[in-house]
Amino acid sequence: MRVWLGLAAILLLAMVVAACAGHAWASPADLWRALAGDAALRSRLLVEWRLPRVVAAAFVGALLGLGGTIYQGVFRNPLAEPYLLGSAGGAALGATVALLVPLALPQSWLLPLLAFAGAWGATLLVIGISRVAGAVDAAGLLLAGVAVAAILGALRSFLMLALSDETVSLQVVLSWVLGGIQTPTWAGIGWLALIATGCVGLSLGLARRLDVLGLGEAMAIAFGLEVRRFVMLAVLAGSVIVAAAVAYGGLVAFVGLAAPHVARWLVGPLHRPLLPASALVGAIVVVVADAIARSALPPAEIPLGLVTAVAGGPFFIALLARRLRS
Amino acid sequence: MSTLVAENLRVVRGKATLLRDFSLVFDATESVAIIGPNGAGKSTLLKALAGTEALTGGQVRLGRRNLADLPAAERAQAIGYLPQHFGPHWDLSVAELLEVGAGRARSLPADALEKATAAFELGGLERRRWSTLSGGERARVLLAMVLVVDPPVLLADEPAASLDIRHRLDLVRTLAERGGDRLSVVVVHDLDLAFSFFERVVLLADGELIADEAAARLIADPRLDEVFGVRFERLRAGEGWHLRACR
Repeated sequence: MRVWLGLAAILLLAMVVAACAGHAWASPADLWRALAGDAALRSRLLVEWRLPRVVAAAFVGALLGLGGTIYQGVFRNPLAEPYLLGSAGGAALGATVALLVPLALPQSWLLPLLAFAGAWGATLLVIGISRVAGAVDAAGLLLAGVAVAAILGALRSFLMLALSDETVSLQVVLSWVLGGIQTPTWAGIGWLALIATGCVGLSLGLARRLDVLGLGEAMAIAFGLEVRRFVMLAVLAGSVIVAAAVAYGGLVAFVGLAAPHVARWLVGPLHRPLLPASALVGAIVVVVADAIARSALPPAEIPLGLVTAVAGGPFFIALLARRLRS
Repeated sequence: MSTLVAENLRVVRGKATLLRDFSLVFDATESVAIIGPNGAGKSTLLKALAGTEALTGGQVRLGRRNLADLPAAERAQAIGYLPQHFGPHWDLSVAELLEVGAGRARSLPADALEKATAAFELGGLERRRWSTLSGGERARVLLAMVLVVDPPVLLADEPAASLDIRHRLDLVRTLAERGGDRLSVVVVHDLDLAFSFFERVVLLADGELIADEAAARLIADPRLDEVFGVRFERLRAGEGWHLRACR
């Protein structure tokens, strides 16, 4: 219980600090006045631009935490990440198409839709390849995922070079590919909250079976889990969650890898507590990282993906070193 | 009354025939040891009985129902299976492992976890993590996880192979004693333990059923020496037997 209250308190604190941070810093008093309905431009900017972004960052982080936990659970590998299985790469390709190809639908609809489609498509492709190759175990999926991710990355780069004649749209795609939280309207935040709640429910529905899978394949089968079918189901669920995160936050590396680890230290490896704890940790990390991205080099904004990569890379290396040593 | 019936079991993998058309009938309460040299098909037989190995021919019935038609969750509750090797991928605590084991039952008596903790002497270990447990403690935790739902059938695949002598004795005896009021089928490497603790012994070689008899009768059987390719000196040792192999 103390852990949960602590995490919630840290998230709240992080969000308040992040709402104050920016190239023009606000004080908590400014924030309070803005929330109370002050009509000054500065207050309106806070409420309509900065706060939605902070809230969106929290949701994106939570989704990344959930997605990472599911992937690590399915592949029973603490180094697994959504990016390894092509789902993030697929979502990125879908979003690139949405940003660069002129299509009939408004971009605000198209981007999440195509991101979803890309993530699903890439995941199905990975599953299909591993099936054809006759290696439907975790290692086969991972290998297929790495290959598909590389191809999708190349395709995306090609599209970016071929389709952007005005440098402006290339900049848009690039900033998105490097990771950056979108600033939705408050109605958009409502949708995001709905999606995130659905994703929490979806992943909690997998929790018990992820625990059983973690006992090892032989034991999981003996305990009545239909391993192959469940792995497919969980990978697809993970890709939906990742697609939602990518649609709102671009490609943000390492959060999906790191959040489950921190959460495992805090609440242990059982998935029912682990999933929500990872979501909270992911939310805290992205809120803080996004605040740094916005305020470190004013007036420019550092891409969020770069901040998380700089912080996450050493974390990954430390993990790897610890694993290799043991 | 028979609980588990295997009819004309046949398992072929690629070019290898792992089980060659034989049948076995198990009572609801008995302890059975499966023995045989390496590659005899002991593990395959056990998996076939557990319903986790696809059969090329024949069928396994649990009560009146074909095991292959039984939903996986129902099968998991009726048959406890102890694999040869077990290592969880996450470093769960003893209490968490028991919780996962109990999770496969649709409903459990409220004191099931407490009972399993007491029965396998895990009191005080609940918060310890798997990585910190000794071999003997791990064996007891594994057994408690599998038996916490109290399945009528227990199938164990040489779970004692890596234990030291005392823990191996304890574990095999526990498994055999379960045959007093349940069905307990155990693949046993140590012939002394097989003949000393189990009522019935099934002898396999090369995927074929060589003998299926009461332990007391099979011990004198010359087929035993033939299958293992040695000459056994059969020594009476207290309540049990000691088999000394000579060439």
